[in-house]
Formats: sequence, structure tokens, C-alpha cells
Amino acid sequence: MGDVKLIIDGTEVSGPSGMTILEAANETDINIPTLCHRPDLKPEGNCRICVVEVEGSPRLVASCHTPITEGMVINTCTPKALAARKTVVELLIAGHTGPCVTDECAKDCELHYLAAELEVGPPRFQVKARRSYPMETLSPYVQRDMGRCILCRRCVRACTEIAKKNVFSMAYRGFHSKVVVDCDVPLDKEECRDCGICIDYCPTSALTKPNKGVS
Amino acid sequence: MERDQLLGMIKEEQAKNGSVSDGAMAHIAQTLHLPIGNVYGVTTFYSFLSTRPLGRHVIHICKSVPCFLQNGAMMAAAIEKELGISPGETTSDGRFSFELTNCIGACDQAPAMLVDDEVYGDLTPEKIGEILKSFE
Amino acid sequence: MPEKKILTKNCGKIDPGDVSTYEAEGGFKALEKTLRISPEEVIAEVKASGLRGRGGAGFPCGAKWELARKSKGDEKVLICNADEGEVGTFKDRYLLQHDPFSLMEGMAIAGYAIGAGKGYIYLRSEYHYLLEGLQKAIDQSKEKGYLKDLEIEIREGAGAYICGEESALMNSIEGKRGESRFRPPFPPESGLFEKPTIINNVETLVNVPHIIQNGSEWYGAMGTDESKGTKLFCVSGDVARPGVYEMELGCDLKELVMDLAGAKEIKMIQVGGSTGGIIPSDMLSTPLAYETILGSGAVMVFDQTRDVVDFTYRTMEFLNEESCGKCTPCREGTEVMVGVLGRLVNGEGVDGDMEVLEELSDTMKLSALCGLGQTAPVPVLDTLKYFRKDYENRISQSVFLRSLKTVNG
Repeated sequence: MGDVKLIIDGTEVSGPSGMTILEAANETDINIPTLCHRPDLKPEGNCRICVVEVEGSPRLVASCHTPITEGMVINTCTPKALAARKTVVELLIAGHTGPCVTDECAKDCELHYLAAELEVGPPRFQVKARRSYPMETLSPYVQRDMGRCILCRRCVRACTEIAKKNVFSMAYRGFHSKVVVDCDVPLDKEECRDCGICIDYCPTSALTKPNKGVS
Repeated sequence: MERDQLLGMIKEEQAKNGSVSDGAMAHIAQTLHLPIGNVYGVTTFYSFLSTRPLGRHVIHICKSVPCFLQNGAMMAAAIEKELGISPGETTSDGRFSFELTNCIGACDQAPAMLVDDEVYGDLTPEKIGEILKSFE
Repeated sequence: MPEKKILTKNCGKIDPGDVSTYEAEGGFKALEKTLRISPEEVIAEVKASGLRGRGGAGFPCGAKWELARKSKGDEKVLICNADEGEVGTFKDRYLLQHDPFSLMEGMAIAGYAIGAGKGYIYLRSEYHYLLEGLQKAIDQSKEKGYLKDLEIEIREGAGAYICGEESALMNSIEGKRGESRFRPPFPPESGLFEKPTIINNVETLVNVPHIIQNGSEWYGAMGTDESKGTKLFCVSGDVARPGVYEMELGCDLKELVMDLAGAKEIKMIQVGGSTGGIIPSDMLSTPLAYETILGSGAVMVFDQTRDVVDFTYRTMEFLNEESCGKCTPCREGTEVMVGVLGRLVNGEGVDGDMEVLEELSDTMKLSALCGLGQTAPVPVLDTLKYFRKDYENRISQSVFLRSLKTVNG
């Protein structure tokens, strides 16, 4: 394997320089949960689900974008890391609208899967007003329900990096950040065709095929 | 033209026309070969840029802690009374827009505000009336 | 300990619009000296001085320069961070207003040391009124031949606190949204346009000519073990004489706010800006230094009449509005915190509110992407630590008031 040697969860691992902690862990079948990250997209590090503890570091580090270094000692499942992941999932659930908890899309929702995995209990956090946007049904190819969006930006990157289309952009700031089309208009763009890549990359049911429909 | 000119171009547009319209964003996007969404994304990120039309003069009154401690809220109320508009609004004659803003770095002269690009400190409700009178 | 004017020695003395008045005070002598020694020697001198970043993070300046110097890449970039968005901070404004030439000299020396041909000054748009004077200072310094090897360009922000965070600042210059980037890579390795980049605060750079001119030994004699030199403190809030005070690092907080700025009946002081720590009145004799409490040098004084929970709410509202929104803990965490604190302020608190604040604080501190999210919980945790009773009272009052409503309703 590579020249950089490190220890993940007690196992000695090695990899080429430039490899991320997540990649190194995956090579040895150590599972670190991810949400905003996909192996075929550029890492963004925005969701913070994949945080792990690195000995000597006062903070947790996100494994999807942190390169391995010689002699690193990493623990992926410490109480600190688990607590942070759990809180992050709870925050994401608290900030977006509710019906998806019960409707048929929940079974495909990566966020709900993570919540189950991390044994998230009854809601502890509440935002003043959950995000709520009108359903966008103009496009014959992609239906957008941005109230279900958790801002992982996978659609933005998939559309840019894989479909090479640039249909989506990030707009606004802070809690009001939103994935938009042009000057925040409902999706109905000529360059958007039926490639469906953004739908495949959406972890929740914010993006769906129109005929599938969500009540 | 390179992408790093984007913020400057948006600012120039706002300085010239008072706000950044969808048309202006489309034009800038075309000039820089960027998706319009990227221009919109940058414009809406910064609090001193506006996609909705503003008045000829923009009042930014500071609401951060040092100004608040020196009756900043009272100054905001004085402007509301003077102009008859709330934060985020523009007077019907298009003379003033009024915004609340975060720390403007004039805490030694708190309470303070910016009118357009000028800073006014040690405000009192009377002083605010005088200052606003000097603007057309 | 009285004020010690080194960085501010020219302020009020020279004409900020006339470079020759700066020269008359010995200006640009340090640059001349710099050009007679090697860049490595300059870096060694700055390293030996113990100068640390004055923007808030306190990273050793010389070590940072060395990284950039050694970094591969022909084109290196120097950025002066004049975004000064930290609440209660106005020292950089003071320097730019009264002595912009010191910054020119500091940038010229820094550029020479790291090998940068291009320099930027990122000026917050709230300081637009300083732009003309600053440009004039660049032009005059250039005319006099002091900026032969460094082309300085001013770039303006457009209203975003986060753009004072170095990675967000670089994104802003690149014409992108001012969102933070993950690290590594660190800027000295790959920064603006992926070039090796050094980002220094205005005050940090203004220290440099004095270090070169008088030597690291002279400089190192001032301050404490880990905090060398002088620091500009911005005193605001409940004081008779708000303003910029230059003191040796390690100076006494009490002396600064009471003797110099004229504060009375203090309840607490926030040091370092919106994400700064809280000093309650019984700890006023805390020395101001990196090893204790410092941040940007903002010193906001609250007297006995002030409400702690109200303060924390306003501070969190600020951080929430200014969060870039990229990472979950900061974007969502500050929103939830504003909600909880807002309820407490409005008498709608519930049991468990303090625990929620603490839980969120832990996650934000440990897992947020950048310094904003990581330090946003500091005022919450510090007020909970020193003024827990105030929170408890708010909650018990809320609970009591609700019970009355139920009885009467």
C-alpha cells in the first residue's frame, strides 16, 4: 500500500499521501457514517457527520476531507464523536419540515437511516420556524420540495461535476441558505434534462421524479 | 474578465443603480461566463448588497452590543419616527432606505450609524433629525 | 501601568495624507534596514520577537511567514486583513485613519520576507470612508519607491462578518460566496487562487517595522512569556472614556477599564469580541494576554444594570445572522440557540433550556467547520458558568408565570 502509516480504531493502516481518513478507513472496512460526502464528488465537509477523534487534536476532524498523516491515531467511535454526530442529525431533522417522517419517502431518506443508526431519541431541539418553501413542479424532469432539503449540496456538485450543467447554486446566508436556480426561481431550465443525477444524489426526498409524486 | 472581479462588479452596479436587478445579474453572469445562480448567490450572501430597489440614501444603524448599550435601539426608533418607516423599508419619496446592521466598528462613538458611506457617531434623536435633513 | 504608545506613536502626530510627515518620524527606516538583510533573517527576527497574530487567533507570525517562504510556488500572496468585523473592535480603523503608512511599511517588509509580489488589503465595506485615504497612502508610498516589489490592491467586502475569517476572506476576494473552507490545506501552502498566501491583520503588520527597527530583543522585553509587545485595546460599553488604548501585553484589565476608561460598578466584561470570553466583576484583575484572555482586543464593559441573558441573546443573534451557513453545527446550532435564548428573554423558558444550550455548545465547539462556529458558544458557556443564577431565575420565573396562567385560565 502507501507510505503513510496510521492507526484507525486500533488497526494499523497505511495509504498514499493525500488519501483522506475516510478513504483509509473504508479500505479496512471501518465504517464512518457520511451524509454530504460521496466518493465521486469533491469533498465539501459541510454536514460534519463524519467527524472522528484524532489523538492530539483538541477538536474533532471531518474524515471526508482531512488527509492522513504519518503516525496519526484515529478513533472513529468515541463518545465525543458519537455525541456530535447525533446532535448534527437532530439539528438537521429539527430544521426541515416534518411530513417526510411519516410519508413513503422516509424509508429512502438517508437522514432517517442515520437517525436510526445513531439511536436518535425524541426531538430535543426546536427552531423558531422550520424552513418552508412552495413545491416546485414546473419541470417535467425534477420536482423540488426544498422544505425537505438539508443543504448537503450533493445536487449542486452532482449537477456541476457529473452532469456538467450548473443548474443549481447556493444563495443567501446562514440559516436562510438555499439551493437555488438562477435568481431563486422554480426549476424549469432548458439545460435541465432527464439525466436525473441530482435526484439520485439527493439524500432526502427534496428532489424526486415528478411522476413518483409526494403527497 | 476573471471571476475575482465579480464582487466588485456587483458593488459597482449597486453604487450606480441603487440595487442589483435580475437583469443586471444576468448581464454580469454573461460577462464573466458564470451561471446566473452564482451571481445571485454572491449578491444575496452579503448584507450590504440588495436585489430589491433601495432609496437614494441608505441608513445603516448599528444594532450590535456596544451601540445597544448606548441606547442604539432608541436611535433606531427615532429614525422610524422621523421617516415613518420600519427597518427594511424605503420612504415613499425614495429618499431613504433604513436598515439595521451589525457592528460598524464605531463603538467608541456609540451609538453610531452609516448614511451611505459616511459614519455618524455619538447620536441623539435630535442629531439624527439634523443629519437626515442634510440629505436630498 | 500607563499606556505605552508604540504602534500608535504617530497617530495624531503625522498627517495621514502626507507620506513625508511619516518619513520625518523615521518612517520606512525599517524597510531600508530590511532590504539590507536576507528574507530569512527578517523572518528569524520576527520569529524571535514572539509576535503573534493580532486579529484574534494569535498564531505565531514568524512561523507562518516561514511556512509561506518555504512553500513551493513562484507566486506568493500577502493579504492584509482589514475586515475588522469583530463586535467592539475598531483598532484597525484607528490605525488606518491615523497612520496608514505604518501598514504600507509592514506590508512591504512582509512581502519581502515571504517573497510575495502581490498584496491585497481586504477592507470591510463598513469602512468605505477609509478607502480614499488608504489608496492615497499606497500611491504615495509607491511614488517614493517603497513599494517597488509589492503591488498592493485594495479589495472591498460587502457586509459579512465571516469574511474576517481567513478562508472566507480568500473566497470573497476570488469572487465567491464568503464561506469558510476546510483545512488543510492551510493558506501558507495553498491559499488565494491556490497560491501560498499569508494573511495578517492590520495591527500585526504594523508591529513589524518596530520589530525590525529596534530588534527582537527590545520587542521581547515587553509583555509576558507567551505574549510579547503591546496591544491595542478597544474599550466600549459602560465606560466614561471609550476608545483605543495601547498597553503592554499582560496589563491589568481592571486598570484598563477603571483607571483609564473610567468604568464604574462593573458586572462583567467581554474580551475579544462577540465570540470572546466573559470576565465577571470578581475577576477583574485578570492580565490581558494570549495565555489568559485577549482575542481581537475588544473590551466591552457591562455595568450592574445590564441583563446577562439579554446580552447573550443579542450576541447569539449576531452570530446567527453572520454564520455563513455552510456547516450544520453553526448554521443550525446558532438558530436553535437564538430560539432558546429568545424564549428565555421573553419569559418563556422551560426546564432543560440550559442543558440544550450546553449540549449544542459542545457539538459546535468540537465539530464546526471554522472558527466562527467553534467559538460561537463561548459567550453562552461563560455566562452559564459565571451567571448561572440569572438563567435559573429566568426559567423559574417563566415556569411560575405559566402556572399562574393555567390556574386563572
